[in-house]
Amino acid sequence: MEKPKTEQITFRVQRYDPENRAIPHFQEFVVPCSHGMTVLDALIYIKENLDSTLAFRTSCRMAICGSCGMLVNNYPHLACHTQVEEFCAKKITIKPLPNFPIIKDLVVDLTPFFEIHKSVKPYLLRSDVKEMENPTAEYCQSHETLQSFLQFTYCIKCGICVAACPTSASDRLFHGPQALAQCYRYCGDDRDDGEKERFPLVGTDHGVWHCHLAGACSESCPKGVDPALAIQLLKRRLVSRDLGIGKKTPPAPKVQPPTETKPKVPYPEFTVKQG
Amino acid sequence: MKVLEPRPNKLGITGWFYAGNYKLERYFYILHRVTGLGILLFLVFHLTATTFFRIQGEAVWNNTMSFLSNPLFKAGEYLVAVAFAYHMLNGFRLILQELGFMMGKPVPPIYPFSDALRKKRRWTMAFIGIIVILCVIFFYDFIIGGW
Amino acid sequence: MKRYTYVWLWQLITGVLIAVLLGIHMVIQHLDKILVFFGVNLGDTTSWSSMIERSRQVTWAGVYVALLAVLLYHGLNGLRNVVLELTTSQRTERAITWTIVAVGILVFVWASYVPIALLNK
Repeated sequence: MEKPKTEQITFRVQRYDPENRAIPHFQEFVVPCSHGMTVLDALIYIKENLDSTLAFRTSCRMAICGSCGMLVNNYPHLACHTQVEEFCAKKITIKPLPNFPIIKDLVVDLTPFFEIHKSVKPYLLRSDVKEMENPTAEYCQSHETLQSFLQFTYCIKCGICVAACPTSASDRLFHGPQALAQCYRYCGDDRDDGEKERFPLVGTDHGVWHCHLAGACSESCPKGVDPALAIQLLKRRLVSRDLGIGKKTPPAPKVQPPTETKPKVPYPEFTVKQG
Repeated sequence: MKVLEPRPNKLGITGWFYAGNYKLERYFYILHRVTGLGILLFLVFHLTATTFFRIQGEAVWNNTMSFLSNPLFKAGEYLVAVAFAYHMLNGFRLILQELGFMMGKPVPPIYPFSDALRKKRRWTMAFIGIIVILCVIFFYDFIIGGW
Repeated sequence: MKRYTYVWLWQLITGVLIAVLLGIHMVIQHLDKILVFFGVNLGDTTSWSSMIERSRQVTWAGVYVALLAVLLYHGLNGLRNVVLELTTSQRTERAITWTIVAVGILVFVWASYVPIALLNK
């Protein structure tokens, strides 16, 4: 079999060493890249062969864990999900995601991101707490209702939308598109009854009202979650609740136990011939 | 063991202007902001002229008007008119989209992904078209008619 | 929390009102050359005589005062949103909000006094 054709591509990676706290600087590595290689493959090659002190996060290598978000040629991508060939360039610049503090090299601190996500209560809240703790039946939800929020459930918490958002760039108290979209994912889910608890958290000046529809979050989302749409639908819901207009659907009821029991199928008393 | 503080990495106000190679709608956002603040700044001068210089009588008013008929000021006024046209039409688009009207329905993502703003790009371009028409109308009046 | 929703909603409503009132202001006072095409000749609308004539009409004074009110709300609230994106402490935010409200009230009182006082001159 023919050896795959390789091209020497230069990777300019931003390095930052927290031990000596120098200003972040760029270091160049030349990597032989073949057809089908991802940016993550190149970074792993650099770490294994060229400089083992390079730090970056990676886990699933298939765009489902959300670990490897980074700025590749000035646009946020998941490194495992980005082909080297798609840039058609001999030089590729890799920087850590902006709007997050840098721990080392390409590793950013996502703890505040997860804390904000937790603060919008991203779990089903219902007024009948006993049923929540000890469920007796499933909740009934129609296909249409599911389709109305299903898109926003695909979030992998990679942080790329927060890196893209212009409000997140300057406003330290802004929740960020991810938390606001997840707030809508739960408010739009009719199994949930927690609007009263979540709205005071996000319906503030530094919450949903500081989103001005730049749309960069949806544009850069690697899973197509469209947080911008979720946030505008959240604004719509907030306005209709505060003005008292629009219908309020009751939370999803439990599935009723079946009213008629199926007749018992006759079966032989003994499966093994007696006697 | 010494705990090392992570290095802050927020883009700050530069992040409003440029954070990467994003598409059009992100730049509409910053233009909306810049035109809004520009019109507010213009308002300061406009209110001074139409109150302080207005109440001082005819001579002062005519003086101000002749001072302001300088081509540089005329060009500045044209820029303000263009900013107003942009801010107004983009504002109408934002009112519709932020209330969820021109945004379409959530659709489970199928690769290659697209989002609501990109799907409604035609509507956005319609608003931009109206802005361009208004700019041409203003151009006729301010620059050609008003020299 | 309803307060924040209402502030945002009024930003939208005043935006639409400005589009209407400022549209009238622009068309009558600055786009007079265009109006010639429609057969309406208003002459030089920024001349002294034209201004005296307008300042005597109550409708014009009303339009100016209304335009000033909605414009100040929309513009200063927008400015407040921009500045508040850069602050974090509650105290600074309250100080900025009250400064902007004070400036808005002062400007409104002064600049609406002028057309009303000139109504009878």
